[in-house]
Amino acid sequence: MKKPSSSKTVSRMNAEACDQCGKCPSACPVAAHIEGFNPRQIIAKVALGKEADLMKSQVIWTCTGCLKCKERCPEEISPYDVILALRRIAIYLELPHPEGYDGVIEAVVETGVVQQPQLVRTRNKERKDRKSMGLPPADKPRDMAAYTQTLREILGEETH
Amino acid sequence: MRYALYTGCTVQTEQYGYEVSVRATMPKLGVELVDMAGTSCCGFPPFGSFNELAWLYSSARNMAIAEGMELPLFALCNGCHLSFTETKHMLEQFPELKAKVNEKLAKEKLSYEGNVQLIHIFELLYDIIGKDKISTALSKSLKGIRFAAHPGCHAIRPSRIGRPDDPENPKKLDDLITWLGAEAMDYPEKVDCCGSSLAVSTGRTTLDIAGEKLKAVKRRGFDGLVTTCPFCFKVYDNKQRAIQATVRESQLEVPIFYYTQLLGLAMGLKQEELGIDLNQSPVDVVLTKIGGA
Repeated sequence: MKKPSSSKTVSRMNAEACDQCGKCPSACPVAAHIEGFNPRQIIAKVALGKEADLMKSQVIWTCTGCLKCKERCPEEISPYDVILALRRIAIYLELPHPEGYDGVIEAVVETGVVQQPQLVRTRNKERKDRKSMGLPPADKPRDMAAYTQTLREILGEETH
Repeated sequence: MRYALYTGCTVQTEQYGYEVSVRATMPKLGVELVDMAGTSCCGFPPFGSFNELAWLYSSARNMAIAEGMELPLFALCNGCHLSFTETKHMLEQFPELKAKVNEKLAKEKLSYEGNVQLIHIFELLYDIIGKDKISTALSKSLKGIRFAAHPGCHAIRPSRIGRPDDPENPKKLDDLITWLGAEAMDYPEKVDCCGSSLAVSTGRTTLDIAGEKLKAVKRRGFDGLVTTCPFCFKVYDNKQRAIQATVRESQLEVPIFYYTQLLGLAMGLKQEELGIDLNQSPVDVVLTKIGGA
C-alpha cells in the first residue's frame, strides 16, 4: 500500500490562513457537548504541524459533518474538510477509530448497501417490509463480485 | 418529467415511509419516476472518512448508471444528493481523479462522463413543479397546523458548490408547507444539525443534539416538524423515545412527518398509502386535526 499523500492533503487545507476568529466553534453543534472538541483549536494545531496529537486523541471522530464551520469560515478553510483528511490519514496509519465504521464498510463492500432491508414496526406494532409496503425489491449491483473486488482493490491502494 | 429515482441505503432499507409517500405523490404531479438498476451506496457515510477514492468511485458509479439512462438523477436523501454534488465538483476540478475513477468503473463496463443532472426534492417540488401545479393536485387544506421546517444540513450547505436552498435562511421547505395550507413557523434553530452521523461513534451525543432541537420546537408551541431527510427523520422520529429519556423530558412529544406524507394527505390520500403508520412519533394529534386521514 502506497503512503497517502497526507502532506499534500493537509497543505491544501490552508490552515495557516486561520485568524482564530471563533466563528466555527460558535456554530459547532458538537463543541457544546463534547469537551475537547473545538474546530478552531483543531485548525490551530494543524497550522502548527501538530496533527499527530489530533489523530491519536480520536477527537477527530466526533464531528457530525453539519458543515456550518465550512459555510461560515471567512477564510474558506473548512475545519470539516481538515477533519475528514485527518481521519483518512489516521486510517492509513492504523490509528484507532470508532468500531461502528467497520461493520458498515464491510456491509457496503460485500452487499452494496449499509444494511439489508429491515423489518420495521408500525405504531400498532405490526411488522412491515418492502413487499408488504408495496415497494419493489431493493436494488443492488448487477455484478456484485466485480463491484466488491473493485472496492477491495481501492481500499488496498492509496487513500489519496 | 422523467427522473431516475435513487433511493439510497437508508431509504430503501428502512425509511419506507419516505419512499412510499414519494412514489404515491409524484405521479399526481406529472412526475414519472424510473427505478434505477444496479445501484449501490453513494459512498459518503462509510468512505468519506476512510478513503477518498472509494467514496468518489461509489458516488460516480451511481451517477454513471443515471447517465446511461439519460435521465436526471433524483436522489431522495440529502446526504446522497450532497455526496453526488461534491463528487461531480471534485471530478470536474481534478481530471486525474476522474480518470482514476473511470479506470475502476470500467471493470463493470461503466463510465462517468460528468454530464449527469442532479435533482434535489426541493428543486423538483419548488422550482420545477411549482406552486400552481401543486395547488391543483390538492383536495384538502392543512389549515391551522403550525410546523417547523427542517431542511437538514446537507440540503443547504456548503453553498459554494451549489445547494438547493440558502445556507442561513432556507425558505423553500417553509413555502412548500404553506402551499398545503399549513403554517411554517420561523425559528432560530432551523438550520441546526440533527446529530445523526455521530450515531456510529457516540450515540449519546446524537440524542443530546437532536434533543435540543425537539425541545425548541416544543417550547415554541409548534404542532410538529417536517423534513425530507431520512437521517434527520430517523433521529427525530424513530429515536424520539430515546431522546426523551436522554434529555429527561417526558413531555417532549413532537410529531414528525416527511414532507411528502403531508403532501399526500393534502392530496386526499390515506395515511396507510403514505407510510404514516410507520412514524413512531405521536403524529395522531396532527392527523386528528387534519381529519379524515
